[in-house]
Amino acid sequence: MKILDIAFKDITRSFRSVFAVLFMFVIPLLITGMFYVMFGGMKGSDTGFSLPQTNIVIANLDKGGAGFDTVMSQFPADANIQSLGDMVVYVLQQDNLADLMKVTLLDSAEAARSAVDTQEAGVAVIIPADFSANYSNLNGQAVLEVYQDPTLTLGPAIVRSVLNQFMDGISGTKIAVNEAVTQTGSSDPAFIGQVVESFLTATARTRDPAALLKVSSPAATETEEIPFLLRVIGPVMGGMMVFYAFYTGTASAETLLQEDEMGTLPRLFTTPTTQATILGGKLLAVLLTVTIQVAVLLTLGALIFGIHWGSLSSVLLFAAGTVVLASAFGVFVNSLMKSTKQGGIVFGGVLTFSGMIGLMPVFMFGSPSTTFDTISLIVPQGWAARGLFQSMQGATTGNLLLTLLVMLIWATVFFGIGVWRFQKRYA
Amino acid sequence: MLQNAIEVKNLHKAFGDLKAVDGVSFEVAQGEIFSLLGPNGAGKTTTISMLSCLLRPDEGDALVMGHSIKDDQMGVKSVLGVVPQEIALYNDLSARENLTFWGKMYGLRGPALRSRVDEVLEIIGLTERAKDRVGKYSGGMKRRVNIGVALLHKPQVIYMDEPTVGIDPQSRRNILDSVVALKNQGMTVLYTTHYMEEAQELSDHIAIMDIGKVIAYGTNAELVKIVGQMDRITLTINAESGRVLEAWKKVQGVKQVTAQDGTLTVLADDSNQVLPRLFETSALNGVRITTVAIQEPNLEAVFLHLTGKALRD
Repeated sequence: MKILDIAFKDITRSFRSVFAVLFMFVIPLLITGMFYVMFGGMKGSDTGFSLPQTNIVIANLDKGGAGFDTVMSQFPADANIQSLGDMVVYVLQQDNLADLMKVTLLDSAEAARSAVDTQEAGVAVIIPADFSANYSNLNGQAVLEVYQDPTLTLGPAIVRSVLNQFMDGISGTKIAVNEAVTQTGSSDPAFIGQVVESFLTATARTRDPAALLKVSSPAATETEEIPFLLRVIGPVMGGMMVFYAFYTGTASAETLLQEDEMGTLPRLFTTPTTQATILGGKLLAVLLTVTIQVAVLLTLGALIFGIHWGSLSSVLLFAAGTVVLASAFGVFVNSLMKSTKQGGIVFGGVLTFSGMIGLMPVFMFGSPSTTFDTISLIVPQGWAARGLFQSMQGATTGNLLLTLLVMLIWATVFFGIGVWRFQKRYA
Repeated sequence: MLQNAIEVKNLHKAFGDLKAVDGVSFEVAQGEIFSLLGPNGAGKTTTISMLSCLLRPDEGDALVMGHSIKDDQMGVKSVLGVVPQEIALYNDLSARENLTFWGKMYGLRGPALRSRVDEVLEIIGLTERAKDRVGKYSGGMKRRVNIGVALLHKPQVIYMDEPTVGIDPQSRRNILDSVVALKNQGMTVLYTTHYMEEAQELSDHIAIMDIGKVIAYGTNAELVKIVGQMDRITLTINAESGRVLEAWKKVQGVKQVTAQDGTLTVLADDSNQVLPRLFETSALNGVRITTVAIQEPNLEAVFLHLTGKALRD
């Protein structure tokens, strides 16, 4: 009974401390909230990332040139492509770019530039009248003019990127034709047509990234349905919870040293209460305080941010492991301290540093890195984070139990050393 | 029926090379106020700590209401209330919450606990402020709660370790009155202090400690007899004490002369006869006496007589 009285007294004192409540609940939620705001809107309105659409005006003045039959055959018939300029327009008007750019055709270069000057458009693409002719001429140089709003960055950069890709493609064709004509001495249009067709056929695969990249994904799981925002926020919130659970464990266990300095611990030892009861009560308070913190943060994380922590059983396993490990770590760390004056070094140094190492995978935002994962496991926070990810990713109970087992081994060692040292100190 | 509430037998405690308590023995009869008087560092708190079972003696033993501090610590703790030198309370809990918690630690529960907490709040005069957090209390109020905690389980023996250090005169008066009240309720009080006046006023018996040993033991009257009927004359001069120290020791009627912190203390049979001679000797040595104070024999004089130094911080 006395053990509960001591624990209850400690918990009451902890939750009356504004500082403790800030670190236990407010800061983890605040940091997660900041990430939430940075990465998107509120729950229910999440649509992922979107870039602003750029208004593009195109003045296609190209009067065409000879020898485009073969190239035109690469485009759909309804595209009605008569010149290289038409191809530029066709490329910029493709459906897959529609979210990024809105294309408007204008009759003159002046009108196009004027649209940018008046900020009606962000970018003007001016295709000169001799664009196709220069391209057809083996010694000519086809040049596009891009006129952009200097205050914009992303939109014009995307347009330039698309145009560069297009120009690289037609330059390659021209180089291939030049090379063939130089080597054979033939400038027969039929021959050039064959060269162009061969080049386009050979490079067709390279224009399609899908043909060069084998993109694969894990088998369909629940996480595929989780929006990007929550895939980022979940680990951040979990990471903050792990980070501050270890702070709470250490801060709660520090009350042993505080009470020793306040004189209340020696006074407790003058009452008819055994040392085991007193230490047991203090340690129970640490465990219960961290339990309350983790339970509240898990609940609030789910309610406020809509985070899916995993199945109930895996969440319970992960939470239990974290609570026990954070508490034991706190007892261990405090048993090494001579007084609370060393608290600054412990909180600012040991906990922050080990926390940062352990939570490195959290800030990879789901981009797995074996190196970071491995390094993170040299500190207890890394194992807690591992348990968190496993729970969130729907790992099997076997995998989660293995992580839990390692956490419990850590905890047993920390707790054993910590209690032994405290008993020795107060014997 | 036990006659002695506390029997201390040859207690020793050393911290490294420092002998904090070196063979201390004394007895405290039931229902009396017993003072351990001595300067800071005399070993009073170490003695109390051993009697509270906070420190284990290197040698010796003590019985508190028949319970050995070595072999029956729970027995000792159950009959004991301890008022530590520093205030040992939870500032973030109210007075009532503090008393309730400590009451539970002494084994009180339920209605008995609630009723006793109310009684103690009444005794220490804090019923009206019971719900306020202790952190908001004045130093004197905290001292009262600090004492109240030790009274919760109606102990047979109370240790009070310098309970009046650093508080205002009014609170000090209240505490001294409450010590007498505890005695009147039949409790045995072991009181440590370095204030001679407190020991003199409160105690039935006094043990004077210095450098870990009991150097004198008895009632106030018995102790004063050690220095006989000598008067104590305290003087300050306008020069270095060395210029008159040896000359004064040779003055007829002077028993002892000591110098400390610019003040000279003379023990003499009759201050009326000795004082003119001190003035005369000073004048011969070119020294002028600037202040004079004469005191009847007291514990300060006893301590000075026994140790050659003043009983002060």
